[in-house]
This record gives sequence, C-alpha cells and structure tokens, in this order.
Amino acid sequence: MTMAGTIRAAVAFVILVLLHYSLRPLLGWRAEIDFLLIALLLAAVRVRPGTAALIGCGLGLVADSLTPGAFGAGALGMSMVGFGASWLKAAFFADNLALNGFFFFAGRWAFAIIYVLAEHQRRGIELAQEIFVWAPLSGAVTAIAGVIALAVMRPLLETQST
Amino acid sequence: MARAVASGTRADIALLALSVSLSLAALALPAHLRDPVTSTLRRVFIAPLVAMQSDAELARGAIVRHDVETSARDSVALRALEVPALEAENDRLRRALGLGRSLGWGFVPAEALHSRALGEEYTLTLTRGSRAGIRSFSPVVAPEGLVGMVETVDPTMSLAITWSHPDFRVSAMAADGSAFGIVKAHLGTGPERYLLELSGVQMSATLSPGTPIMSSGVGGVYPRGIPVGTVIGEVKTSEGWARTYLVQPAVKPFDVSSILVLEPKRVLAGMQSVWVGEDSSHRAAAAADTVAHRGSITIPRDTVLETPADTADSADGGPGAGGAQP
Repeated sequence: MTMAGTIRAAVAFVILVLLHYSLRPLLGWRAEIDFLLIALLLAAVRVRPGTAALIGCGLGLVADSLTPGAFGAGALGMSMVGFGASWLKAAFFADNLALNGFFFFAGRWAFAIIYVLAEHQRRGIELAQEIFVWAPLSGAVTAIAGVIALAVMRPLLETQST
Repeated sequence: MARAVASGTRADIALLALSVSLSLAALALPAHLRDPVTSTLRRVFIAPLVAMQSDAELARGAIVRHDVETSARDSVALRALEVPALEAENDRLRRALGLGRSLGWGFVPAEALHSRALGEEYTLTLTRGSRAGIRSFSPVVAPEGLVGMVETVDPTMSLAITWSHPDFRVSAMAADGSAFGIVKAHLGTGPERYLLELSGVQMSATLSPGTPIMSSGVGGVYPRGIPVGTVIGEVKTSEGWARTYLVQPAVKPFDVSSILVLEPKRVLAGMQSVWVGEDSSHRAAAAADTVAHRGSITIPRDTVLETPADTADSADGGPGAGGAQP
C-alpha cells in the first residue's frame, strides 16, 4: 500500500472511530452500529493478518477501557476478527456490496460471540439472547452501515494490491 | 518466495498469538493492576471521544425531549382551544342544574339534538318522549329563557319547534307590565331572521330598547315569567292600531344542548320564583298578575299556528292556540 493510500485509509479509520462516539450514541439504538468493527475490517483488508490482529488488539483495549469489568474481551474479539478478516481479504475484497455486507455482518456477530464468552458476565437465557438476538441484529445494522460507509468512502478507500 | 510467505505467515501467527495473549492477560489482570491501565487508556485515548459521545447523547436527549415536549405542547394547546367550549358547556349545564333546582318539580330534562337539514332549522329533536312524561304543547325552556314548544311526541323522543319557527307564538309582556303583545319569529332576511318581534302592542305603550320581554302566562301554554328576550327597537309597520317591536331573543337555539320540558301541572303551578336571578323577572311576574287580575286590557294569547281563520279562535284556547291549557 502506498503512503497516500495508507493516509487515506487512516483518515477513513479515524472518521469511523469518531462516528462510533458521535453518531452511535446519537442514534441510541438497542442494536447498535459498531463503527469500530467497520473501521477494523476496513483496515484489516489492507494489512497483513498479524498486523490486523495487533490493530484489533489495540483498538479493543482502548474500547475496553470504558468497561473495566470486561477489559480484554473486546481486544480478544477484535484481534481474532481482524486476523480472520485479513486472512480472508481475497473474498472480502470482491467488489460486491452484498458480499461486503455479509462480511461486516459475520464479523460483528463473531466479535459479539467472542466478547460475551470472554467477558463471563452473562449466562443462560441472557447469553443466548445476546448471541442469537442482539448480536445478529447489531450485525445487520453494522453491515448496512458498513456498506454505506464503503459506498461513501470508496474514493478514499481505493485499495492497492499487496 | 515460498520461504518468505511461510515466514510472513509465521510472523502473522506470532502477532496473533501476541494479541491474544495480551487480551487474555488483560482479562486476567487483577483489579488493582487493571484499573491504572484502563485509566491511562481512558485519559489518553478515550477522554476526547467521551466528550464527543457525551455531546452526542445530550443531542439525542434534546431530540427525544423535543418530540415529547412538542407533543405535550400540542396537547396543551389543543386542550386550551377546548377550554372555552368546555367552560361554556359547563356554565350552561350549571345553569341548567340551577334552573332545575329552581323549578323543583314538574319538568323533564332532555338533550336537544340539532339538525342543519333543510326544513329542520327551526326544530329540535329531544331525547325524551311520552314515556318520560313529555306531552305535546309543553314549553321547552333553557336557563336563559324560552326555547320553544313540544310539537310531536313519540314514546322515546319528541320534536320541538324553536322560537324561530314560523308557527311559533307566545303571549308576552314587558317586564314592567306596561305592554303586552304576541311574540313571534321575525320573518326577515339574513341575520334578522333570527330575531323575534313583539306585535300587537297598544299604541299608548312605548318600549325603550333593552326592555326585557317575558311570557305573560295568558293563554296557558306558557306560564308567565319565562324570559323571551329584550327589545331592540320599534319596527314600522302599516298597522295603524298597534306597535311592533324587534326583540333580541334570550335563547340562541343553536347553542342549546340541555333543555327542560315543563309538564302541564308545572305550567299550572306558575313560574314566579324560578327566574329569580333574571332581571325584572319578578317584576314581570308581578306585573302579569296585576294585569291579569285587572281584566281591563285585551291581552293577546299564545298561539301555535296563526292563520287568519284562527285569529278569533286563538282566544279560545284551541290546540293551535294554547290548547294545552288545562
């Protein structure tokens, strides 16, 4: 990836992080859009899997600092999702919005599963509800938002083959 | 090349392992070690973002409150618009209750239903009928005064004509008893159609504007003392033997919703103490008594239908001329 491409991707990453802390609370939906995960996935497809895992870990740790009781759970989830997304970037990079949407959805759902299992704070029905109801719903809205973000930021996110 | 790829893969796996280890270590950190780390992360990275999040949540709260407050404001505005109508209705009902209390007995309360249909402008449908004791030719009154007269009675409902009906007649007098006549609808055009006229007033009697007019009780259909209206002014007519006055009605039929129908025995008993609070109603009743006992004046009587052929009969109390008089 060229320097210009890296800077553009970094700008897109920052914009999405800012959206996570501005637009998401403004919307206030129960099934929330995870802009951090969109940012992670968009970054992950541009770097090697190991780097994506590190980015995910850092992003997760920063995000987890607001939930000290589950500190590390988000980092674990984002590390694994970032690594997996980067590993599968060939498929992820297909110029198909529906496929991209599916990967946003799957990434968000996978992250939620890892997170709730790692945090050890939910059990029984609450755990099942989170995994099978709210996580897919959040995945769906995240996928929609991710597809929109991809469409809007396409000029900014033009990828370079590695 | 293959070695480079394998090396890269090993590096990726190593970084993944590092990330996972860091995450698990973070998860396993005891609180006293975890809190300084999270605090540092919050201060360095999250604090500016949290301020942004706080602003966003405030904005969202403002948006939600705006909807709620707009809704509440609209509700208050709507209720405020309804308040005058409700107050008027309450006032009317209160006065109807007061009238019922003053009457004491011998009346049937009913709801008056209006219709704007052609031919029904001057009639009211009453929600009570003969089963409730309503009879034909019974006076219909409201707290303000005379509304009209029951014309047709069914078991559960009845029809009444209002004073604006062309067939309506009531024997009336000035409050001070200085003049008597027949009040009927003023068949003018435009707004004047909803005025009354007091006709047949002797030439020697002059009524000034604002003089209260009330039923005189002569004829028996309407007991004396029911307010009918107030004099607006004299109307010039071709009749050279009597005066005619334009009268502002006491009751606006379209505003009437709750009325009382007087039973015949109540009509017989008189209304002397009912409209006590009304201007000059006592004086009118007293004047009516005086005049009635004096017997020296030819007093026009109530009529329902005024036709040339009935003019002579109207003094005899036929059905169309106060026939309900016991």
